[in-house]
Amino acid sequence: MNFELTEEQKIIQATAREFAEKELAPAAADLDRGGDRKIFLGNLAKLAELGFMGLGIKADYGGAEAGSVALSLAITEIARACASTAVTLAVNNLVAEIIQAAGSEDQKKKYLRDICSGAYPAASLALTEPCAGSDSAAVAVTAVRDGEEWVLNGSKIFITSAPYAGVFAVFALTDKTALKGKGISCFLVEAGAKGLTIGKEEHKMGQRASATNELSFDNCRIPADALLGKLNSGFTSAAEGLAGGRINIGSLALGIGLAAMDYAAAYSAERAQFGKKISSFEAIQWMIADSYTELEAARLLLMSAAAKRETGKSHMKEAAMGKMFATEAANRACYNAVQILGGYGYTDQYPVERYARDARVTTIYEGTNEIQRLIIAREILKSI
Amino acid sequence: MKILVCIKQIPDMASKFKPNAANTWFTETDLAFRMNEYDEYAVEEAIKLKEKQGADPSDLVVLSVGPARVVEALKKALAMGCDRGVHIHDDESNLKDPWQIASLIAAYAKKENFDIIFTGMQSQDRGSGQVGVTLAGDLGCSCVTTAINFSLEAGVVTAKRELEGGAKGVVKLKLPAVVTCQLGLNTPRYPTLPNIMKARKKEIAVLKAAELSAEGPRAVTEKFYHPVKKGTGLVLEGEPAALAVKVLELIKEKTTVLRG
Repeated sequence: MNFELTEEQKIIQATAREFAEKELAPAAADLDRGGDRKIFLGNLAKLAELGFMGLGIKADYGGAEAGSVALSLAITEIARACASTAVTLAVNNLVAEIIQAAGSEDQKKKYLRDICSGAYPAASLALTEPCAGSDSAAVAVTAVRDGEEWVLNGSKIFITSAPYAGVFAVFALTDKTALKGKGISCFLVEAGAKGLTIGKEEHKMGQRASATNELSFDNCRIPADALLGKLNSGFTSAAEGLAGGRINIGSLALGIGLAAMDYAAAYSAERAQFGKKISSFEAIQWMIADSYTELEAARLLLMSAAAKRETGKSHMKEAAMGKMFATEAANRACYNAVQILGGYGYTDQYPVERYARDARVTTIYEGTNEIQRLIIAREILKSI
Repeated sequence: MKILVCIKQIPDMASKFKPNAANTWFTETDLAFRMNEYDEYAVEEAIKLKEKQGADPSDLVVLSVGPARVVEALKKALAMGCDRGVHIHDDESNLKDPWQIASLIAAYAKKENFDIIFTGMQSQDRGSGQVGVTLAGDLGCSCVTTAINFSLEAGVVTAKRELEGGAKGVVKLKLPAVVTCQLGLNTPRYPTLPNIMKARKKEIAVLKAAELSAEGPRAVTEKFYHPVKKGTGLVLEGEPAALAVKVLELIKEKTTVLRG
């Protein structure tokens, strides 16, 4: 058994860490408070230049071909500094991997280069709808074939990066008569498509620098070849990509949890009460011990899932386990970090309240943790 | 043009250093390693020079002395843009003195006839600042230390140096030359991910230290230790406004209170 990263993975991890510390961390608090989005987009462009937007994409399409383990490591390092940047990067890589897995040669050539190079500031996944959250098969946006075009109607909600995405992977109902979930297809819709409107931006609790918007399709006409993968097989085409997405969101949560505990542990070694450093109190030590143990367990689960994905092994169960465990461990770590800082931790003069807000959504998006538990149980029980 | 850049892999300087069993250096157990900061400036400057050569193709070699772990630093330099690597494998390089390290590099470099050699002005861990100048002496090259600006025109190196008290000096020297690099010379590029992956295919030749040089040490480290911590307080004196600035600086430097 070998727990060592390859030299390339170590260099990618170190590059991501250095970039995050120097370029992302100084701006993160201000961007969280509504700072200039140009700075946020500028950082995304720099990350694209370095190859972070297509980590798992083949070199022929402009990617780094660095694999799922490196992607997980990079997202964790970036999330330590700025969770909003990390989620944007995670979604870009997710959309790129879905296109790589299911797209035609023309689609790969057309879209992957622009996502990897940063020509598109971001890429977006449009699955969730007002009435199709955890029940994602309840998609109600329709796509109807009309000659050489598809016509889309309906609305999406909570769509990451919508105002600056160059392309959207949109899930829509193409066969109303099919069994639930069997009549859904995926389409690539370019920004600016006629009939596509970017709706209001949500005011979120955390990850505030990353935009989350409604989308509405009003007789939005897209060419016939915008269909991604097979007709009525949208979920099948995207399943592999979505499993990777879970590893990425677990990795993101891990980064936030580590940032919170690193800050809180260092603080505890300096803050004195009752004439002693608070790190000398058992109550604080237990919080530090519990959180770091859980975060290390999360890291190992995520690495195991990513290594399986990278080597082409089944990883549906492991990805869901990693996502579920890491996001919950990160939330507990952030809770402990705020507790260790006490009243100071509850103010925005210290970064731990931001970490706590940023971590909260990770148990909700990319499949709620309740859905992850269903996936895990299904995967276990189907083999019995 | 043949260019050599010499790099050292050093521990993360935020680490807790523990003395080794003989108390002559620190133990490497549990330490994370990275490229010496001053050597990153050297790598960047060497790559910039190579890129300026244009039609005249140059050969940019990156070299490191040390155990197997230094390959990671070599690969980073290759990902940044060096053409090929040379690893002088030496499991005890951390116990060798600057004379021995320079002798190893010189034994290799003598046969290669490099036009110019870049290295950091010092390592962040041992910090002797002697390897570059000793190498220049060994090879009979001209040498400039602590360069903060560099250019090469018609076979003449022009280098700006930082002197004490904010003064600057400019020196010109003929090739072959050794240039030791100081903070301020440039901003090292990040290696791009595609280049990190492509660097796997670049050659890293492995040479055994024992076969290159058997020079003994000229300066032996007798003892490595942490000085005893003094528990005394700090008394600041002066005008209130100046004191406030000093206190703020101290808080920023010594605590995490203002971080984030």
